[in-house]
Formats: sequence, C-alpha cells, structure tokens
Amino acid sequence: MKLKLLKISQVADILGVSIQTLRRWDESGKLPSVRQGKTGYRYYDKNVIEEFIKNNKKFLFSLAKKWVINKAESELPSLLYCQNISVFQARLSKLETDLSKVKKLKKIYPLITAISGEIGNNSFDHNLGNWPDVPGIFFAYDLNKRQIVLADRGQGVLTTLKKVRPNLLTCQKALDVAFNEVVSGRAPEYRGNGLKFVRNVVAGSKISLIFYTGDAQLQINESKIDLNIKKSNVCIQGCLALIKF
Amino acid sequence: MIIYLKKFGTTLNSRQFGKEALAAFKNTLKEIKKNEEVVVDFEGVITFTPSWGDEFLSFLHKEYKNRLILKNTENPSVQASLEILEEIYKDKFSIR
Repeated sequence: MKLKLLKISQVADILGVSIQTLRRWDESGKLPSVRQGKTGYRYYDKNVIEEFIKNNKKFLFSLAKKWVINKAESELPSLLYCQNISVFQARLSKLETDLSKVKKLKKIYPLITAISGEIGNNSFDHNLGNWPDVPGIFFAYDLNKRQIVLADRGQGVLTTLKKVRPNLLTCQKALDVAFNEVVSGRAPEYRGNGLKFVRNVVAGSKISLIFYTGDAQLQINESKIDLNIKKSNVCIQGCLALIKF
Repeated sequence: MIIYLKKFGTTLNSRQFGKEALAAFKNTLKEIKKNEEVVVDFEGVITFTPSWGDEFLSFLHKEYKNRLILKNTENPSVQASLEILEEIYKDKFSIR
C-alpha cells in the first residue's frame, strides 16, 4: 500500500511547531520521518502524524486555533475533523460514553455532552450551504486534561446573527446577543438559543468555556454567569471553543 | 399516549434530528384521542439538548397544550433544556 506522505512544512503547519522542532524530534526518535529519494528530504507518513496527535493531545487547542486563524484552508487530520453532522453525532456519542466512565463526572457528563452538542451542531446549522471554504468542524477531546475543543471555519456569529439583527456591528456585541438574549420561537429567528443554554449550564456547574468568533472572545468561568467579552488578540474565521471541566 | 423518548435514542441533540424524529412520529400522533393525555417519558435519556427538544416538543406544546405531561425529567441535561424552552415558550411544562 502506498504511503500518504506529507512535507515537513505541512506537518509543521498541522502540529503548530517549527520545522527545526520537527528535525529535532526526528533525530531523537520522538517523531520519525521518512527519507525519500536522493535529496534526503524529510517526509512524514500521514498515519504516523495522526497517531502522534492521538497520543499528544496537548496540541489540540493550538491545532484548532491555527486551523481557524489561517487565511488559507489547510487539511486537518481525519481524527480531528467531522466533515458532516453524522460523523459529529457518532463522535459525540463516543464522547458521552468516554465521559460516563469518569467517576468524578457522573453527575455532569450529560451536561458536558449537551453543551458540546449544541456548539458543534450550531456550526452545522448556521453554515449549511454557506461554508466559506472548508465545511465541517474540528472536534476533539482530552479526558486527561479535561478539555474539549470545537472549531469551524464558518461565517462566524456576527454574520449569522446579522440576518436577524441587521443593526449588529461588532463581533463582541454579536457574542453578547448570542449568549444573552433569548430570541423568539418565530422563523427566521427559529434557532439561536443553544448558546444561551451553554451559558446557563456553564454558570450552574463546574465547567468553564472560552469562545472566540471573529475578533472577539468570551470567557465564562465555572459557576459564574459573567461573559467577560473582550476584543481578542487574534482574528479567526468562524468559531473556536474550549470547554474545560 | 405515552411517548418514550429513549425509543428515539439516548443522545438527543441537534435540530435536524429533532425535526426528523417529529416527522417520523407524526403518523403515530394521529392516534391520540380528543382529551387524551400526551405523556412524554424521558426515562433512559442520557443527553438532551434544547435544539432537539425545541423541534420535538414545540409541536406537542402547541398542539396538546395542557394535555402535555412530561415524566422522569431528573437528568440534568433534561432539566437545563426544559428550563430554557420554558423561557422561550413563556410557559411552564406540566411535570409529573
């Protein structure tokens, strides 16, 4: 079977580390490359990279962040990528099962699954037919670090909400509306209460959330209702969420 | 009539799946007699979200009004979802 090989620059991009770091890891055996041809350039087996990510989950958030900051669309390893809602559902069920095995989370694991579901499904619901470039979402979790990361390269909260609230001008205000205001059940405002649910759940339990969209970010600390919305030092396409528990 | 939600799955999330669940069940709902109670039983449901809940329950809420009864709602994700749906509908569910 022919190996799917990635260039060192592609791997650096995927993992969010420098080429020098990859050379060092290659020499130490931490992440071995495949040398091909007379040039001796380093290439990497895609499966090896996926396995590396699986075993080194500390990269999850930085990987997702890089993916949504990059102007150019880049390929995500398949284990981090849900190209459609069915794949997301299957992985969400897996998350639910994995969380249910953690004794300390016995009381809150349905809530953690529910807010992950709302954030992920929001990405699909609000971008269906309107994905600017890559459809689907980044979804991964690390139970040791107790964190879940979700991201999309969609339109972002401001563009979505502008359709029903044309006067909204900034991403910060859009975040405030999305997490604060309950919109009526009338179409076209039919959706849009998922993030209020997320806020209520986080505020009532030992879960925290950091959420980015456009040039704005929000942080809800566990058992706190404050949204702490501010201008972010990065500008992202779509949304990026980090749930900690 | 008693509607056992676990028959739709134990991880009930997303508007899309809530909508599909209701569409598939609408024929069965035709069997409900005038004045008959409609009990929605949450027993066995592990994860429930307001998106799925809104798509499924808003129809029942509008159609059967005070004949709609919810049962076994102790799960924290069910509780949190019902809370926000009550806020949207500006109405309280009857819970048994």
